[in-house]
Amino acid sequence: MSADVTGANPAADPVGVTRAEHFATVGQQRHAATLGMWAWLLTELLLFAGLFLTALILRLLHPEAVQAAAGHLKFWIGATNTVVLLCSSLTMSAAIELSRLGWQRMMVGCLLATASLGALFLMLKGYEYYADYEEHMMPFLARRPYALAEQPATRLFVNLYYVATALHALHLFTGIAILLGITWKASRPGFLQRHQNWIEVYGLYWHFIDLIWIIAFPVLYVVNR
Amino acid sequence: MLHGLGPADRALLRRRLRTPVRTFLALLALLAMNVALGATRPFEQVWLVELAVVAVMAAIIILVSMEVRHEPPLVRLFAGVGFFWVAILFGMTLTDYLAR
Repeated sequence: MSADVTGANPAADPVGVTRAEHFATVGQQRHAATLGMWAWLLTELLLFAGLFLTALILRLLHPEAVQAAAGHLKFWIGATNTVVLLCSSLTMSAAIELSRLGWQRMMVGCLLATASLGALFLMLKGYEYYADYEEHMMPFLARRPYALAEQPATRLFVNLYYVATALHALHLFTGIAILLGITWKASRPGFLQRHQNWIEVYGLYWHFIDLIWIIAFPVLYVVNR
Repeated sequence: MLHGLGPADRALLRRRLRTPVRTFLALLALLAMNVALGATRPFEQVWLVELAVVAVMAAIIILVSMEVRHEPPLVRLFAGVGFFWVAILFGMTLTDYLAR
């Protein structure tokens, strides 16, 4: 293996975790980190589940209004953004596999690609919000006329759409910021010898953000068309 | 960067990336199915199929991408319990709205 290409250090075991003193073994430490991340992700799951449930209830209570409002959503931008996040999940999974091999440089490249794809998602989402603004589809703006003002129930769905997608975008923005921080640390010599499991644990969060959007896209954009 | 890898490293990389790439292609195919159904609306109850496709996509991400299938029993229990709570939330709420 060429150390110049992969970034691996052939002189020592390139992959490992430094044991913290309050853990008996490294295995226990890895297990606790994964379990802790899952415990947090479950609270996030329940948060988003409440929003998705609200969307389904609105559909049951006001089917015509929800369909009218969903007709204004940018279906193809949503679909493109789903592809972007699927690509980012692929690069994240690749980064995890490369971290296990100890190929640091290629792993850092994959982490940067993941962050870039996340940023692309946010740019497309921003453009979508701008297009919504141009179409007068922001009922919460008191001084701007609302395009579907004659159907008051549409406000419920449109407001829910903004809450759900903005909350997801906030998670993605936070995720990109944390990812860039981890990437900077991961580019330092010896990172994978001390903290390899950081990449795996962070990967859970990234895949979870992807999962939430994969559910949000059909629940908001697809089934209400 | 890949040009500098030897044949053994390339083979190793291919082997390690096989599952992520297959997962990606499977998710892309399922998304394409949902987008096609959403764009064409071939029949009235198509939303049932769309939600079923989403459920399959979610299962693939949780089991394969998030590697729950390889985790110890306690982590699998945590992941399962989370979706069990969600099932209770949806089940009890929709029982009310659908039975009115």
